[in-house]
Amino acid sequence: MNNREFPVPLGCFISSFSSLPFFYLTMTHVLTHPPVAPLQPPSAEQPKRAESIIQLRQVSKVYANGSHALVNINLDIKKGDFLFITGPSGSGKSTLLKMLYGDEHPSNGDIIVHKECPHQLRGNQLSMLRRRIGIVFQDYKLIPRRTVAENISVVLWAQSYTRQEIERRLQPALKMVGLTDKADRFPEELSGGEQQRVSIARAIVATPPILLADEPTGNLDPDNSWQVIKILKKLNQLGITVVVTTHDENLIRLSDHPVVQIRNGKLYR
Amino acid sequence: MTHHDQGDQSVGMLRFLTKLEYLCRETVLGLKRGGWMNWAAISTVTVLLFLFGVSLQASWQLEGLLNQFGSQLEVSVYLETGVSADTLKPVIERLPSVASVEGTSKEEAWSQLVKELGLSSLKDATQQLEGNPLVDELKVKATSSAQVPALAQTLKQLQGIETVQYVDEAVQRIAQLNRGFNWISVMVTGLLTVTAIAVISTTIRLIVLARRREIEVMQLVGATRGWIYLPFVLQGVTFGVVGAAIAGGMVYGVHRAIAHALSQQADFLQFLAQSVQLKPFDVILLPIILLTFGASVGLMGSLFAVHRFAKL
Repeated sequence: MNNREFPVPLGCFISSFSSLPFFYLTMTHVLTHPPVAPLQPPSAEQPKRAESIIQLRQVSKVYANGSHALVNINLDIKKGDFLFITGPSGSGKSTLLKMLYGDEHPSNGDIIVHKECPHQLRGNQLSMLRRRIGIVFQDYKLIPRRTVAENISVVLWAQSYTRQEIERRLQPALKMVGLTDKADRFPEELSGGEQQRVSIARAIVATPPILLADEPTGNLDPDNSWQVIKILKKLNQLGITVVVTTHDENLIRLSDHPVVQIRNGKLYR
Repeated sequence: MTHHDQGDQSVGMLRFLTKLEYLCRETVLGLKRGGWMNWAAISTVTVLLFLFGVSLQASWQLEGLLNQFGSQLEVSVYLETGVSADTLKPVIERLPSVASVEGTSKEEAWSQLVKELGLSSLKDATQQLEGNPLVDELKVKATSSAQVPALAQTLKQLQGIETVQYVDEAVQRIAQLNRGFNWISVMVTGLLTVTAIAVISTTIRLIVLARRREIEVMQLVGATRGWIYLPFVLQGVTFGVVGAAIAGGMVYGVHRAIAHALSQQADFLQFLAQSVQLKPFDVILLPIILLTFGASVGLMGSLFAVHRFAKL
């Protein structure tokens, strides 16, 4: 029922949810690899797609205090891309991501995500766009008095999935981030790395085609950071478009994915 | 919602039930976490609806009493001391617009009064007052209520008649009282309604503020405004309904206590006890009015609170 309306790569991802053994295998593989594992070569069989899923056209952002955060940014992200956005703190990386899901509005220019303009959407239209974007935050943004399972289910509740469907999606998502045995814990009982993995599970449990991660490793030690990046890489191999902001140069070198840099409000490749 | 809106009816039904389950669960969770704030809101509604319920019921009963009086066409004629009812009765019967005349001798009236006052012995009372203080009385029934004042005027001019009373005066007094009473209860109810809405609104706002992190997450994962705020609105309605239920119970309790107290009294107060008996219709109507009023107050309070947050 859910497969038929998704584009091919996401369909693959969902069917991997259905064929659980495969899904578990790949996820446990990701999670059991040591942090310094040799880099996987960029997957050759990943189909190259010309279609843009995120576009920024001459986007500028001026803050209320008059300082220019972003100046004439042009960016084109294709389906299935994995892109790092880097730059010093306060360079506007987070602002750029927030504009993609309509939490900030550009002062000038156009943003197109899923063929829609988040800055022009209001109310429930914006909610509908956000359902097709998974977001991972630096500060996790977990709900304090809800268990791990509930925190992940929030997304599915919001989209009024049935109890059965929630159960079907919850277990693979927990398994993927390696938190099956902590489903009934509360966020404050988890380490930072575990909390961030909960937040990733929440971001992908509704199988959105786009995953945005804002400094997902900002508060984590190198081991946990690498684990998070590996999960993101795995999701990308399943067909999800992943955009990650980070200022961790080491992580970017290890990951071997395209990088753009924001400096003084301008974008450098 | 994209791929969920399709599908057959049973899927739609399941989805509806899922939503209902979510709403109930979240509302109950909100109430559990509300703690003492719940009671602040509920007790305000209770006070409002208790006063409203009591005054509404009192007004109904006064009106019932008025109707009882209003239906009568009787003029009471009190004769001068020493004048016998039997002598005047044929004279009055011949007057136009008189339907019937009924005489009560002062002896009959006296024994009736003594009984109504609950005095034990007729003789004792008569002795204490050095004789029967009453006069003979005639009850004159007019053919129509419009004739009553004119008839009273004619009767007053007859010889041997001391005073003439007809029920119109008493009814007017009570009607006046009832109007004043209604006016006061409308004022008090209005004032308390505003207060209750303000208290519920503040309570819901505090609850929303306490959960703003949760709400932010829900907004970011694509929950619609209705989805996020409906549980809070339902929580406000629950305050109103619970307050109404408690108030209804209290009104009923007070009513029972008064009825019980009156039934212990002397005979002449018994008619009051009968008039405070609830009519079967009122027994159903009062709870319905209270619950509707309570739910509306809760709804308005919570909508006010949520309105400010839900604006984007």
